Amino acid sequence: MYVAAKVEVEKCTGCKLCILSCPEPNVLRYLPETKQVAVNQQRCKGCGLCVTVCSKDALTVSSI
Amino acid sequence: MSESLFRISPGFEEVMPVEYRELVTNGPCGREVGVSDLGTFKELIEEHPLCAGCNMGLALRLILASLPKPEDTVIVGSTGCSSLAFTQVAVHNIHSLFGNQNAVASGLKRALRLRFPDKVKDVVVIAGDGATVDIGLDMVMQSWFRRERITTIMLDNEVYANTGGQESGMSPQGTVLNMAPLGKRFPKVALPEIAREAGCAYVATISPAQPKRLERMVRRAILTAREVGPTYVQIFCPCPTNFKFRPNEGLQKIKQRQKEGTFQVREYVSPEAQAFLAELEGADHEK
Ligand SMILES: Cc1ncc(C[n+]2csc(CCOP(=O)(O)OP(=O)(O)O)c2C)c(N)n1
Ligand code: SF4
Ligand SMILES: [Mg+2]
Repeated sequence: MYVAAKVEVEKCTGCKLCILSCPEPNVLRYLPETKQVAVNQQRCKGCGLCVTVCSKDALTVSSI
Repeated sequence: MSESLFRISPGFEEVMPVEYRELVTNGPCGREVGVSDLGTFKELIEEHPLCAGCNMGLALRLILASLPKPEDTVIVGSTGCSSLAFTQVAVHNIHSLFGNQNAVASGLKRALRLRFPDKVKDVVVIAGDGATVDIGLDMVMQSWFRRERITTIMLDNEVYANTGGQESGMSPQGTVLNMAPLGKRFPKVALPEIAREAGCAYVATISPAQPKRLERMVRRAILTAREVGPTYVQIFCPCPTNFKFRPNEGLQKIKQRQKEGTFQVREYVSPEAQAFLAELEGADHEK
């Protein structure tokens, strides 16, 4: 896709709220090693719903 | 059928797509995973063509993660936006002629009970509001009158989305859409109340803005349908494309409607279903 979500690792606390707000399957993943969330940018449609639920401002949507 | 559903025949591992292999090694079947574990296992739905920010896409993810036994579930779908996603769903599913979904599901459930008398097979209808409340209402009602042991889930986006925006029985009064320029002239149909009167043992209304509550309701509905009678879950999933709001505004729209009182989360449990669920959930609690 042309736009996609990005995680700021310094801000993500791994609460997983974004994973429960994303309409796309398997795009936001929880990494147990780092206890943080990662985005599969190739499959993200950039809708921005995850940004609206993240209370830590750890997500942004921009061109890729 | 069981978890072996996804097993790959020896020698073919290399040629199967990586997504499929991941379903085998990290899928949800045969494991105790649910909505809270999303993001840590391979989901039963793959990349789909629904619009960016589609709440129905989110609802589908949540429903699929809530199925008590996906490997022994058959989903019956109908025409509409959701049917575009079902080609990417790794649960047995049937695409029925628009409106026929509850008739197909009723027959299927009866056949499965005859064919597998000792096994539990869940039959779950997942269809749009147009398919459920307008064109398929006859079949929906008959399946409830006849106490068919199936769960009916409506993806209520309050519009015929897939055909470009006609009003449905579930559009609220006054709704203006691409192909309803004068605004809808009668109110949203009270299908949850109708479901209760028509014989459903469990009825719930919910949205994807409350994922864990949605999971609990979908599970309760499917488990009740196994033992008690028909069940109905109505999931409010506003459509950004037809209602012309930004794709990131869906969850806020739901909350706004909740505040206005035009969307409410509700649950009705018949006395029989209540006794059944109390026993079941009590037993779960003791585990
Ligand atoms: C028998 C039949 N009648 C009409 C149609 C055209 N049709 C396709 S999708 C659709 C609207 C679906 O609306 P809804 O059930 O609310 O699903 P949505 O697209 O909103 O998810 C219609 C009328 C059809 N495919 N088959
Ligand atoms: S038209 Fe609406 S309901 Fe259909 S895929 Fe797009 S956002 Fe979803
Ligand atoms: Mg619809």
